[in-house]
This record gives sequence, structure tokens and C-alpha cells, in this order.
Amino acid sequence: MSNIEKVQKKKILYVQTSGIDTPERLYAPFILAMTAKAMDLEPAIYFLIKGVTVLKKGAVDSIKLGSFPTVKEVMDQAIKAGVKIYACTQSCEMIGMPKGDLIEGITVAGAATVNDLVLEADGVLYF
Amino acid sequence: MEKELDLTGLYCPTPIMRTREEIDKVQLGDVLKVKADDPAAEEDLKRWASRSGQEIVGIMKEGEVVTVTIRRMR
Repeated sequence: MSNIEKVQKKKILYVQTSGIDTPERLYAPFILAMTAKAMDLEPAIYFLIKGVTVLKKGAVDSIKLGSFPTVKEVMDQAIKAGVKIYACTQSCEMIGMPKGDLIEGITVAGAATVNDLVLEADGVLYF
Repeated sequence: MEKELDLTGLYCPTPIMRTREEIDKVQLGDVLKVKADDPAAEEDLKRWASRSGQEIVGIMKEGEVVTVTIRRMR
């Protein structure tokens, strides 16, 4: 491994608390996180409170604003780009969403993880 | 020495709280085996351990249940 690769990447965390009832708030974390990846940062998005509604299978497939692609397309691109996605287990519980309804390729986590992610991030942005 | 803690049926953040209590009851260098079925438990326990200076020595999954073995380091 070269010296450049050994350098720890800067971490950026996006916390999404908005859900599918506010579609205009759904694009930014994915777009920013993909951009962060391109900037050689290590991005993660933590979906909390109503945010978890975005991660329900099929929930954002037809949410589309203006000339943007669907939220689903942007989310899939972010996951493919290697953006780490977390879903808050208790938020799923709160809104009565079974874990089996969550999309694939994400990590279900809880209170200790979100606290830890905030502390270890070099920057945190809340939506 | 090894101590087991069954946390199945308990949900976030209880598995972390209970693990935090129980780790103090094992001797330094001994292990605590935590069994949980909260889907958040694995990720949370790994981060809790790393943040609090404890060592994860094993993670075993059987269906919904994960068993995380933690060595008390401090």
C-alpha cells in the first residue's frame, strides 16, 4: 500500500430525519454523499425518525421532482458509489415498519452507532 | 472465564445498556458472550466496544440471533 492510500480519509455524515412526505428534502443527502465520494471522502447517511420511510422497499420509486431523476434512481446510484447507508431500528419500530420492508444493502443500527458516527465524523450535516 | 448474557427480545438501546452493566462484572481479560436478536445489536456492539476500549473477539450469526464475544480490556 502506498503512503497516499494509508492516509485516513475524512469522514462526512449526513443525518436524514425527513421522510417521503417532504420529497424536496430527499435528494440532497444522496447527491452530497455521492459528491463526497468523488472528493475522496468517506460519506455515510443515517436515516432517523421519519427518514426511515425513504428506505422502505418501493417507497421512493415514483417520487420525482422537476427534471430530477426519481429519488430511487439517486439512492441506487449512491449505494452503488459506495455510500454507507444506516437505518435506525427504533425509528422503524416507531412508525410500525417491519425490518423486512427495508431495501437491501443497508445497515440496521441504533443509538450507539449514531452517537459514534457523529463523534468520528469530521463533519455532520442534518436534514 | 466466560460469562453469557441473553439479550434476545430486547431492543435498542437496552442491549448496549445491559452489556455496559455486565462487562464490569467480568474480570479483566475474561470474556462476555452477548446473544441478541435486535437487528441493530451487531453494529451497535461493535461501535460501543471500540469506543469504550473493549475488544470484540468473535461474532457468530444464526438466523436472527447474533452472538458477540467481548473481552474486557479495561
